[in-house]
Amino acid sequence: MGADIVTVSTDTQFTHLAWQRSEKELNNVRYSMGADPTGAVSRMFGVYNDENGLDLRGTFLISPEGKLMGMEMNFYNLGRNIDELMRKFKANIYMMKKGGNEVCPSKWKDEGDKTLVNPGAKMVGKVHEALQGS
Amino acid sequence: MAETMTTGLKLGQRVPDFELTTYEPTKGDFGKFSLKDQIANKRWTILFFYPADFTFV
Repeated sequence: MGADIVTVSTDTQFTHLAWQRSEKELNNVRYSMGADPTGAVSRMFGVYNDENGLDLRGTFLISPEGKLMGMEMNFYNLGRNIDELMRKFKANIYMMKKGGNEVCPSKWKDEGDKTLVNPGAKMVGKVHEALQGS
Repeated sequence: MAETMTTGLKLGQRVPDFELTTYEPTKGDFGKFSLKDQIANKRWTILFFYPADFTFV
């Protein structure tokens, strides 16, 4: 799909290595595990917690042009839903492919689902009709 | 309770270049991630921050 996943914590690369090799749940990990022990990158994305030196649960989607296209941040006690992450990711790729004239509404899941084409003055107050399809 | 943090980055904004030293499980070796390389190779990037190794993610 032309994307790379990089996980980041304030642990070092050495700790990442030790964790990945000892934790059986991580046997099949294929993504890069980024080390940010100084918190510099984490600070830039606003996920660094000065009180404990740990990162909050933040996910960021960056386009091939280097633009920030999506972000989600949760506090420590809430895990992220991978289906929603993939939905947003697929939607971003789809919209980029379409060149900016189509938008993906909340229920959009995958290619072939209903989109809104050229949202503009004509669609004001008529989103329901547009979603029903014409 | 930790303070509330907000990101300094805005949606749609170009992300300033950054680099990270990585561990690459597929190679069993260390590596480097750089946003500049991702842009040069026309690749999307998903950055996934989490609190700490050896805990649930």
